[in-house]
Amino acid sequence: MKTYFFLGKGGVGKTTIAASFGVGISIEKRSVLVVSLDPAHNLGDAFNLPLSNKIKKISDNLSAVEVDIEKMIKEYLNELAYKMKNTYRYLTTFNLDRYFDILRHSPGIEEYAVLEAIKRFIRLKEFDTIVFDTPPTGITIRVFAMPKLSLLWTDRLIKMRRRILDRRKMVENVKGRFEAKIEEETVVLTSDEKEDDVMNELVRYRSEMEELRNFFSSEDTIVDVVTMPEELALFETKRISESLSEFKIKLRTIFLNKVIQCKKPPEGIKGKIKEQEEVLKKMGEEFRGTQIKEIPLLEHSPRGIEELKELYNNYLI
Amino acid sequence: MTALLAIIGGAIYIIGYMVYGKRLEKEVVKADPNRPTPAVKLRDNVDYMPANKFVLYGHHFASIAGAGPIVGPALAVVWGWLPSILWIWFGNLFIGSVHDYLALMASVRYDGKSVQWISGKLMTPKTKYAFELFVYFALLLVIAAFMNVFGGLAAADPKIATASILFIIVAMIEGYIMYRTKMSFSAASIIGVILLVLAIVLGFQFPFIKIANIKTWYVIQFVYVIIAASLPVWILLQPRDYLNAYILWFGLIIGAIAALIAFRGFTWPAFTVFSPNLISGQPSPFWPTVPLIIACGALSGFHSIVASGTSSKQLDNELSGLLVGYGGMFTEGFLSTIVVLSIAAFGMTVLKEAGGDMAKLASPALIGKYGAGQIGATVGKVGIFTHSFGKLVNVIGIPEKLGVTFGGLWVSAFVLTTLDTSNRLARFAWGEIWEPVKKTSEGFYKFIANKWVGSIIAAALGMLIVWGGTLGSLWPGFAGANQMLASIAMITAAVWVRNVQKAKKAWQYAVLIPALFLWITVTVALIWYLFVAVPAIKAATTKYPVAIFTIIMIILNFILIGDFFSAFRKGPKPEAEVK
Amino acid sequence: MKKLSDLLGRFFGGIDEGLKEASVSLIEKELEETENVFALLTMGFLSGIPSPPTGLVLRLLPYMQREIYVMMLRSKNLDDVFAETAGTFDID
Repeated sequence: MKTYFFLGKGGVGKTTIAASFGVGISIEKRSVLVVSLDPAHNLGDAFNLPLSNKIKKISDNLSAVEVDIEKMIKEYLNELAYKMKNTYRYLTTFNLDRYFDILRHSPGIEEYAVLEAIKRFIRLKEFDTIVFDTPPTGITIRVFAMPKLSLLWTDRLIKMRRRILDRRKMVENVKGRFEAKIEEETVVLTSDEKEDDVMNELVRYRSEMEELRNFFSSEDTIVDVVTMPEELALFETKRISESLSEFKIKLRTIFLNKVIQCKKPPEGIKGKIKEQEEVLKKMGEEFRGTQIKEIPLLEHSPRGIEELKELYNNYLI
Repeated sequence: MTALLAIIGGAIYIIGYMVYGKRLEKEVVKADPNRPTPAVKLRDNVDYMPANKFVLYGHHFASIAGAGPIVGPALAVVWGWLPSILWIWFGNLFIGSVHDYLALMASVRYDGKSVQWISGKLMTPKTKYAFELFVYFALLLVIAAFMNVFGGLAAADPKIATASILFIIVAMIEGYIMYRTKMSFSAASIIGVILLVLAIVLGFQFPFIKIANIKTWYVIQFVYVIIAASLPVWILLQPRDYLNAYILWFGLIIGAIAALIAFRGFTWPAFTVFSPNLISGQPSPFWPTVPLIIACGALSGFHSIVASGTSSKQLDNELSGLLVGYGGMFTEGFLSTIVVLSIAAFGMTVLKEAGGDMAKLASPALIGKYGAGQIGATVGKVGIFTHSFGKLVNVIGIPEKLGVTFGGLWVSAFVLTTLDTSNRLARFAWGEIWEPVKKTSEGFYKFIANKWVGSIIAAALGMLIVWGGTLGSLWPGFAGANQMLASIAMITAAVWVRNVQKAKKAWQYAVLIPALFLWITVTVALIWYLFVAVPAIKAATTKYPVAIFTIIMIILNFILIGDFFSAFRKGPKPEAEVK
Repeated sequence: MKKLSDLLGRFFGGIDEGLKEASVSLIEKELEETENVFALLTMGFLSGIPSPPTGLVLRLLPYMQREIYVMMLRSKNLDDVFAETAGTFDID
């Protein structure tokens, strides 16, 4: 399975390029799914088709979906609330709902949901290629960072958990099985790593994160950036590249979109063209190991399968 | 004589318990068996959990008994055995046990909050901060004084030194088998006790640790403290603490039995002079300085911390408080009684055998003048107890020298454990004290509150203070801080009794008069100490820190009494009651 | 006779219980503190301290009944922490 991630600021044409790419590879007889993770969904507009949270088959080899992240977040929190209400009756006296409100808005909840969505889609067996139209760069970078960060935290918590279990074992050796009475319930507090729910969850989570980390860095995961020939866009692309290398993710291709190709530029945009040339030059210097593909500023934005196919054939191959 | 006085002591405590104690329970504490204690009301099986009252009594007693009730009275015999024993009996009965009991019960009424917390509410918040500051100074002085106690014992007697070091190893083995193996609790305990006996016997037979220089022992203890206080508790501190309890009960019981059947007359004078040369070698008037010597056997501020820190959260019923708080302190008083009795009966013989200059000890007046010096020069200020104890238990068949080694290990086991806990607590207090700095300079705070920095500083300051000092000059510093803590607790109790309990006038005075007497005595004693004893300290590294601490303590003491009077005058206020 | 053996049973039972308590009291205190810190770390989002990625928190929370319980209790007694700590370390 090959996975493609298209990163880029809003307005650079990321969704169009991603969609076009998806269409293009689906022609090569691959079974492709294009996923929009961007809350500001434009994927449907690019395909000129209505898309939803359910996977829609567009052609034999091509399907598309717009993920409702907000809905996912709500579902996760509801599930958590349900799981917790059963075991935490007494916490209602502490206003459990308040805590969920805080969780709902906590930094990282969106990243978590996006990561879960990615995990869900890469497991789908019926597709051999997934193309992701990612959320705004900030979130996407944090999503890529998540495995490394999670591993750091998980290791730390595992260490601490081991210490807790170790001390429990000591008390157990003297007083026997540790039974705690929480409100009216008697709960057996185990000292065994295999029996401890928290430890099991930590270990499970850890292996999931390791898998993801390997997934993101693998050869079959291709991360591309869509950008424009402007100075600020260049800086951003640099930053993205640096962040990615921190997580050992290679930037494969830079799609330089909306390049002004004008034989006889009017006075008004001569300055812009100069800037463009400088950016092009710098980009060539700074991103030696990365492929750079230029896509000109088209007369009108491609919409619908045919136009996207044309875009692919002309500029993306 | 020993039997007689042991019986009288026991009787005084028992009668005192039944008569005075029960009245306190009824009139002052107004103990109500139907009012749920925090252990019941707030039961969470984490901190709040009712415990069987005998179990709690045993635990509380083992917590409050340390080296204090032994060392203090051993020093005090220079006044003669009678004044010492009277203070141990009546100081304990009217002040010390009242202090412990009220601290416990007040805490029970405030949902298990500590006496410091209560003092903050009943008087002013700065009282609470003063408490913390006091505790920190007290801890430094504990470290210094106790380093001297163990150093003196170990330097003078390789048997005790060896047994003590062996005990550390025994404790670590016990820790391993008890907490890390599946061996049953009883089996592990029995092995622990056997190993303990082995440590004593081996130390006695093969005293291979022969280091006669006390300063070397200071350095050894410094290293020990830093390492021990950094280890997880299960490795050394917890098993030590546990085995110490066996030593304590064994020592107390055989000491009591031996005292009862010894039928020995006293060769030590009942009374020497009013101001024998004792503290810093200066003439020390019995009043006000006796609390600076006999602290723990009669009254100890640290007890209020134990009583209100943990015991109050485990009291199952208000009526159990008397046994735990009042009874616990009495038992400690009884322990101190045995200490005095053994020296009274055998002290002179010990000094003679140790090569003391009997000419200088020929009359009570001479003992007053030269007694402390002679003791220090021959068996050592704590040695007078260990050797007398050896002779005492010899009466019931234990070889004398073995008894001495046991006595020495008894003291040193508690000393070394206390050094460990004091360092840990000092580290914690240190971080708290520097908290205000966090806002202005976070980097500095991070450094200063680092656990190693805190630990090393506390141990180093302790070692600095003890370096050139003598027990006669250091112990009163520690005891003074201890008595000051007791003062704060006693005064808080007095305010509680009046403003919250609204006890009958007579009973208010029953608490107020001892509290004020204590405050006056301790203040005068500290001022005396500052102007007479401290200047006589030869080592500058001891003199100046002690002087500074003493001055700060005296100032805090005056601030405290000011707060007290305003709280007392304001009278009962509704907010002071528990919600 | 039964009453006597009953009494003795309770007496020695009490001693046994007391001794067991004495042998682990410090370890239990350390255990509580660690459980408390574990909860604080995991639920840092409540008090603004750095906390693990939200995903980890969501996964662990359902199993942390005991730790959260200890944390709630501890936080009630925060204004008396010094005395509580001092009381655990018997100094005399």
